[in-house]
Amino acid sequence: MDISMVEKKKKGKGKTVFIIVWIALIAGLLAAIFLLGLPEGESESIKVIMKDGVLHETNRISLFGLIEVNPGLISAYVVTAVLLLAAILIRIFAIPKFKYTPGKFQIVIEKAVEFFSDMAKTNSPHKTGFVAAYIFSAGAYIFFSTLFELIGMQWITTKGNPIALPAPLADINAAIAMGVMSYVVILGAGIISNGIKGGLRVLKDFSLPISMSFRLFGALLSGLLVTELVYYFVSLSFVLPVIVGVLFTILHALIQTYVLATLVSTFYGEAVEPPKPKEAKASEADENAEKS
Amino acid sequence: MPLNIDLVQILLHMLNFVILAGGLTLILFKPVSKFLAERREYFEKLEKEHAEMSEENAKMKAEYEQKMEETKAEISELRKQSEKEAADAAKAYIDAAKEQAANIIKTAEKDAEDRRSHILDSAQTEISELVIEATQKLLSETASAERSRALYDEFIVNAEKDTKK
Repeated sequence: MDISMVEKKKKGKGKTVFIIVWIALIAGLLAAIFLLGLPEGESESIKVIMKDGVLHETNRISLFGLIEVNPGLISAYVVTAVLLLAAILIRIFAIPKFKYTPGKFQIVIEKAVEFFSDMAKTNSPHKTGFVAAYIFSAGAYIFFSTLFELIGMQWITTKGNPIALPAPLADINAAIAMGVMSYVVILGAGIISNGIKGGLRVLKDFSLPISMSFRLFGALLSGLLVTELVYYFVSLSFVLPVIVGVLFTILHALIQTYVLATLVSTFYGEAVEPPKPKEAKASEADENAEKS
Repeated sequence: MPLNIDLVQILLHMLNFVILAGGLTLILFKPVSKFLAERREYFEKLEKEHAEMSEENAKMKAEYEQKMEETKAEISELRKQSEKEAADAAKAYIDAAKEQAANIIKTAEKDAEDRRSHILDSAQTEISELVIEATQKLLSETASAERSRALYDEFIVNAEKDTKK
């Protein structure tokens, strides 16, 4: 059989496995959500506006009439819908027209993909395929969901009040979800690549999901608070707050995207790194002994 | 839970991200990566071909230069040979011409000598006849033997003088 045929078959098999795992993940998460059931009643009310901005406890939104959720979750779903729609449109109308000498739009798309692919190759040279796709998706999600708050999309709360949808990651649940998922991806890759030892190697970094989650949440929250403060103190000005708000948001979007992508790819690279052979280890130990 | 942490909402966020990540990977990331890989492969192939062509060109140039050198050497050799042949031919031609000229001169001299001898013979014969004729005339006019002898001697002397001239 031809080598290219074998490679194509292998790629096709990999794609099928990916789709099966993806669908299984979605089904598992849906099952977990419904098994845990809907929360009863409403959490305690808050009095301070800032506290609500941070915790989203007062203004909640009904999700398909099933459950009351934080506005950040609605933002997340809206961002996902928009991103997927944009991706479908690009896939149908733009990608088939891609040329070897790219135009401006093609360059933007290519650079985005190349940026994350190169980062994955640099930080995780042993296995790059999956982590590149993961950090591309995570990066797109963090970047566009942070910019999403600039739109100020209006939604109606369960109490009937209009509310501007915030950035999804300003909701701590979104940040935790992102941190935990990233950790699970790294842990899974470690186990798949190096077995139990690889898993144990990742488990020792148990603080990683917490640090990732709270870094994201803290960064977004601090941006939100600083912007609020600027709005408050220069309320008489009608130019500065807008510029500061937009700049803060864009900077947050870029920095958080870069930080999370770098962290995930670096830890992923460490997790999938093949263990050193015993001889090499022994020689390293000898060298260290000689040095000491 | 503190900080409004809600497990269901965390799972809903996870579901959202799983859908997004899978969708973006299948719809956007993989096709673009595939395109980039194809383009990279295409340009690598072009680069390889270019390198091969350059190498071939360099090789051809070296061969050409070597052939040029060989041709120059051959031309130089041929030129030397031609010059030598031309010099030899010219020398042979000149020698032949000289020989021919010598022959011509020799033949001409011989002819001249023959003609001179012939002329002299003719002249002597003619003179003899004239002398005889004159003698007979004189004899008929003057029957003196002494006078005839004196005239004859005078004639001989004059003839010898003419011949010497």
